[in-house]
Amino acid sequence: MAAVTAMSMSVTAFADEPYNSYNYDTWDDAVPSQSAYMTVTTITGEQMKLERLRDPSDELYVSESAPVTLADSRDMCIDDARKQLWVADTKNNRLLQLNLDTYEIEGVYTGVSDGGSESSFAGPQGVFVAESDELGGQAIYIADTDNSRVVKAKVKDGRTLELVTEYTKPEDPLYTVNTFNPKKVLADKAENVYTVVNAVNTGSVLFARGGDFKGFYGANRVNVTAAVIAQRIWRAIASEAQLEGMTRNVPIEYANFDIDLDGFIYTVTEINTDTDSVKKLNPAGYNIWNNAKGNEYKFGDITGPMWDPIANKTHNIRLTDLDISSTGLINVLDFETGRVFQYDKECNLVCIFGTKTSTNDQRGAMANPNAVETYGNKVYVLDGAKSDITVFQETQFGKYIHNAFALYDEGRYVDAKDDWNEVIKRDGGYTWAYIGLGKAALNQEQYTKALKYFKTAYDQDDYDKAYKYAREAFLRDHFTAIIVIIVLLIALIIVRKVMKKKGMKLIKRKAKPILATAGPSIPPPANDIEETVDEAEAEVSETVEAVEDTADAVEEEVSEAAEEVTDAAEELTEETEDKEGE
Amino acid sequence: MYEFTPMGWLKHVIFHPVEGFEDLRWKKQGSMKIALIIVFLLFVVMVADRQLTGFQFNTAYVKVFNVVPLLVQSVVYFFTWVIGNWALCTLFDGEGTLKKICIYSAYALVPYIVCSAISIFISNFIVQEERIWMTAIYYLGLIWSVVLMIQAMKAAHQYSFTKTLVSMFFTLVAMLLILFLAILLLSLFQQVYVFGYSIYTEIAYRIRG
Repeated sequence: MAAVTAMSMSVTAFADEPYNSYNYDTWDDAVPSQSAYMTVTTITGEQMKLERLRDPSDELYVSESAPVTLADSRDMCIDDARKQLWVADTKNNRLLQLNLDTYEIEGVYTGVSDGGSESSFAGPQGVFVAESDELGGQAIYIADTDNSRVVKAKVKDGRTLELVTEYTKPEDPLYTVNTFNPKKVLADKAENVYTVVNAVNTGSVLFARGGDFKGFYGANRVNVTAAVIAQRIWRAIASEAQLEGMTRNVPIEYANFDIDLDGFIYTVTEINTDTDSVKKLNPAGYNIWNNAKGNEYKFGDITGPMWDPIANKTHNIRLTDLDISSTGLINVLDFETGRVFQYDKECNLVCIFGTKTSTNDQRGAMANPNAVETYGNKVYVLDGAKSDITVFQETQFGKYIHNAFALYDEGRYVDAKDDWNEVIKRDGGYTWAYIGLGKAALNQEQYTKALKYFKTAYDQDDYDKAYKYAREAFLRDHFTAIIVIIVLLIALIIVRKVMKKKGMKLIKRKAKPILATAGPSIPPPANDIEETVDEAEAEVSETVEAVEDTADAVEEEVSEAAEEVTDAAEELTEETEDKEGE
Repeated sequence: MYEFTPMGWLKHVIFHPVEGFEDLRWKKQGSMKIALIIVFLLFVVMVADRQLTGFQFNTAYVKVFNVVPLLVQSVVYFFTWVIGNWALCTLFDGEGTLKKICIYSAYALVPYIVCSAISIFISNFIVQEERIWMTAIYYLGLIWSVVLMIQAMKAAHQYSFTKTLVSMFFTLVAMLLILFLAILLLSLFQQVYVFGYSIYTEIAYRIRG
């Protein structure tokens, strides 16, 4: 009994995620899957050793009353090379620099110093760290939201940031919004600064390195709904006064963005929209994923608004942040459900992890997930309400799918085979594994196998391709047999035709000797009279048929003879013509 | 003039769209048995379309297979058509009897059934680029059947061409009405059932005390 209890206890004590992992299949149905990520730890102010900020003897001393927890933190950024984690601690008006290994504090910045005078931050909502050629090292970009400015700075020591450039509200007729509250900030390799500004829906505001306003970048399109079309019709017939009272259809501003190693900027839009929910922008600001073709790219939960009976509310998708990992995986964070949706380079869903519960008291469950970052095989999610950072680490299953996807996206299908097989061992419902294995089989010209895999994955397009090759191979391999069959068929048809012409039959029916029954036979009993009548009738009809057949045959023979005669005549005339010619 | 077996008549009707049904009527031919078999085959071919179409063309949701919608789309629609047409055309000087309409309509469906079957068969041997063959055969059957159906109705009721088309259109309206009323009736009976059941439960509770 005790043993049983102990066993059951050990089972319940097993650390699992506070949610059931799932994935979407070919029909966009949610199916159970394995966890690709597991929570390893959560970093709170205590783990960051934020009490050092209150210790006068410490070099990071700020003040006696310095907050020792995060407060409504909105953004973070990882410097891969220096292994630093930067957190914009919004409500505390400060920037934290953490060590990525120990998660302990290395620097705290409450403002920037500009040659002696210090200007403090006010509700900074965005931070971005990048290498800068201009500074010959690290440059920190801060979206200093309530101060209406973006700051480019460099680190002097653990307490001070030195101002390099300040980007303020553009004095340009193109910039029509009254306020300038930058929320997120980004810099490309040429150190142009992009910033997402509150209430600006024409894209992100773009500054040159020196601080000049250069325009807007990568606006969303208007999502065409029935309401939008109706309004366009109304606007066409409305008067000036009516027009003034009408709302205008404007695109939804995007919430956040990230830049990948190749310099492409990805944007994510918070409000549920069919168009442009996640975009990959080229330098001209256009989406290089072709969203026009039937909105094939779907991000976040596919099921649409979901009623949650426990929380007693409807969940609408709200993609709040995204991060492009160094391997090119796209991690999209849904604020509403606390889930991170991971996609590969081709926007194929890799895995889903994280959750939001009504109590938020479990690791891996979020309250206000505000930002997502990746480093190596870890994913960090910043929570503004729980004031912590949840660290997810890739499981063995996750490792296999990531390896497989990396090889798959490079087109090395055969190399990815082993990883896909491992994936299937752990999750037999993982659709991409079958597609990957199918493509590998196709590359190795194992068509039957490829067809089987594609059928399992219900991948009709790839099945079609494989089938084309399989059919070709079949025809090639059985060419002789097929030709022989065709020739035989043609020969059979010709033979039948000829035989019909000559009045022969393949199976000769035994002709009944009509005279024998009609001759002097014993009259049948009375009860068989009807039968005899029938028989006689049948005989008569047979005779009639026979006569008809003979008539037909005679007719045919006659026509054949006639044909022969005409042929002969033609030949004769030809011969005579030839002779005349000579 | 013509002497055929019942199957011979079917063949004659299909391959002589202009005169076939008039001949059929003139000779008082047409077998109810064959008509019913054709309707059943229509149902079979609809099931086959869902289940046996080549994998690369099959868009059906394979996780669930419900035969009832297919049954409704074939058999129920057919008989609604027959009844609707009969009800309408009896009022508008149509000469067709219920039996005649049923037989003629069923005969007219044969090209559609056969071409669908061929299309389903070849879908197993072609790739998506060659889809046009499938579509062509399917539409050939469909258009052929529509032409036959017009001729069938024309012959059955001895209408002019225009009157036939108008009557067919209103037959579709009649079908909608019949189906609407049928659904209404069904839901009403369901409510009656629920009413009766709740009274039973009430009484049962009271008796048990």
